[in-house]
Amino acid sequence: MRTSAIVASGTITELVGRASSGRTSVFISCLRDVTARGALAAVVDTDHVFDPVGAGRAGVELSRVLWVRCGHRLDRALRAVDLLVRCPGFALVGLDTGDVTPRLALGTAYRLKLAVRRTGTALVVVSGHRVVGSGATLAFAACRRDVAWTGPRPAPSRLEAVETALEVLRARTPVAELRPGAVHRVTLRA
Amino acid sequence: MSPFACAWVPFFAVAAFERAEPALVERPVVVVRGHGAAARVAEASGAAREQGIAPGMTEAEARARCPLIVARAWCDERVASARHALLEAALTVSPRIEDGGPGIVHVDTAGLGRLVGDTRAIVDRLIRQVRAVGLGVCVGVAASRTAARLAAQAGARVTIVPPGGERTFLAAVPLAALELPADVAATFARWGIRTLGELAALPRRSLGDRLGAAGLRAHDVALGLDREPFRVHVPEPYWEEAQGLEWEIAMLEPLLVVIERVLARLCDRLGVVHVSVDGVDLELTLASGATHHRAIALAYPTRDLRLMRALIAVDLEAHPPPSAVVGVTVRARPAVARPTPAGLWQPPAPAHRDLAVLLTRLTEVVGGDNLGAPSLLDSHHPDAFTLRPFVAPAAVATPGAHEDREPEPRVMLRRKQPAAAVEVETTGGRPRAVASDGRWARVLACAGPWRMSGEWWDTRAWARDEWDVLLADTRLCRLAHDRLADHWQLIGVYD
Repeated sequence: MRTSAIVASGTITELVGRASSGRTSVFISCLRDVTARGALAAVVDTDHVFDPVGAGRAGVELSRVLWVRCGHRLDRALRAVDLLVRCPGFALVGLDTGDVTPRLALGTAYRLKLAVRRTGTALVVVSGHRVVGSGATLAFAACRRDVAWTGPRPAPSRLEAVETALEVLRARTPVAELRPGAVHRVTLRA
Repeated sequence: MSPFACAWVPFFAVAAFERAEPALVERPVVVVRGHGAAARVAEASGAAREQGIAPGMTEAEARARCPLIVARAWCDERVASARHALLEAALTVSPRIEDGGPGIVHVDTAGLGRLVGDTRAIVDRLIRQVRAVGLGVCVGVAASRTAARLAAQAGARVTIVPPGGERTFLAAVPLAALELPADVAATFARWGIRTLGELAALPRRSLGDRLGAAGLRAHDVALGLDREPFRVHVPEPYWEEAQGLEWEIAMLEPLLVVIERVLARLCDRLGVVHVSVDGVDLELTLASGATHHRAIALAYPTRDLRLMRALIAVDLEAHPPPSAVVGVTVRARPAVARPTPAGLWQPPAPAHRDLAVLLTRLTEVVGGDNLGAPSLLDSHHPDAFTLRPFVAPAAVATPGAHEDREPEPRVMLRRKQPAAAVEVETTGGRPRAVASDGRWARVLACAGPWRMSGEWWDTRAWARDEWDVLLADTRLCRLAHDRLADHWQLIGVYD
């Protein structure tokens, strides 16, 4: 599956998973695709976890990324996302809610859903578990399957790759490969 | 249709002051040159002339004739601003105009019929545009520029000379309407010539023999002929308005009132030609003779008077002029229009105004330090980045962006900001167990060390060994051992 299939204009996509599951890497890959075609993107970072150095090495055009750090305040993050998805012109808005996040109120999720539909922005929510509920068009659960090391044995000297499985939890789209329950393997190179 | 229209602003120097100070309209106004007893009237308004005041009088004599007159010292900047405003207004009617001197502009109306309408519609539009920049105007229309100018100065607000009727119209115009050399005017007076019709009836050859080139030139004018070719005025970028003050202003509030008036005139000019600016330069002339410069950058192109006035007020509160102000000059930097989206196949970008508003609101939410575009610094340090103000760059696709084969995703790190201190048990220098938040986790696999150091020549020297470790609680982390301080840190979690 192409990671660009995760970003659909005018919809909300959720990427959930435990720590080290690969959800952030998949999101950064989407960010790279969006900025590489000349579009603008925004990252709303609740817990200051965005790594600009790594993102730059991964190919993200950093000058096209608006980074909003919210000081560990989810309410600020939601207000920032609400402003961003109402501004036409951002192709992708990413919300990293941190590891411990309460489920969004139904009204908040519905408000975001209408806003992205109106402006054509793709909103990707990265969190530990599903928080948007029925407001999301797509939802994926990331789960790490394997870690590959390289270097002379017996002590490896370098992390080579991480293999992650993306399971489709929810899909309100006619795309066949995104049917609920489908599992897609993604190899993340170090 | 007559091809030329002439817009004439009566008593132009006075009109320039009335434009800057609308309260002067309807009052007897004189503009004087010189100071004290040597001050002489350079220009007088219509109301002042009705009181018997004429240019050349001393100011004292003018006040003796009319004690209620308002006198203003001549200001070159104000007159120049009004002159440019008149030319810009005329340019909105026709691209072919000629600067006929202070307060006079000739407009070539050829070809405007299909665009604007008949002659009357063109005249109405010209009057409307000139009034929009704060000047009253009389307009004359004729087949030649000379006849059009004399028609404009005939006294009526609008005088349209029908095609072929120039000779008939000019025949009744008094000879005093021409600005003839004194000796030539005296000769004509001695000959009993009082109108242009009488002058045009004189034999041209004999007139040339007796009066030379000056006589022939006057004869051409009497016939309504243009001796000079039409010199098309090409506007130069001159977005400047100025106002000299007769009094010193030391306080900010009254100074802002003056600045607002100057800005209003500038915005009127910008509005006429539909130009927005992205920066304003303010130059205050101080009583000491020095100048106080301020450059105010606008977040997005605009000609909003209230916005620019507020920004200037905020800037002057932070950087007040060091002494009293005696002159104000405001220059505008026209913005280069940038299309949105940048190209047919490029994705759309936010409009400048929308982006500026968004960034302002986000700043209110998270603070200015937490907002911007990340930028990498020229350093080997893993945290070497900074935040720069976010500006939408030109949308140019990166080479290879539309290739069918996507590059493979890279494993990314969720950084701990700041890095968290952890306890690490080691065996043979390699991590064996890690304790974070008081819980120990066994290391299942690890890779490293990757030795890094930098800025050893400075007090900010750093040196550390980095490890990638897989913990028993499923986390894949990056640890760092600070070799200078001898402690371990959790840099982040691979995710």
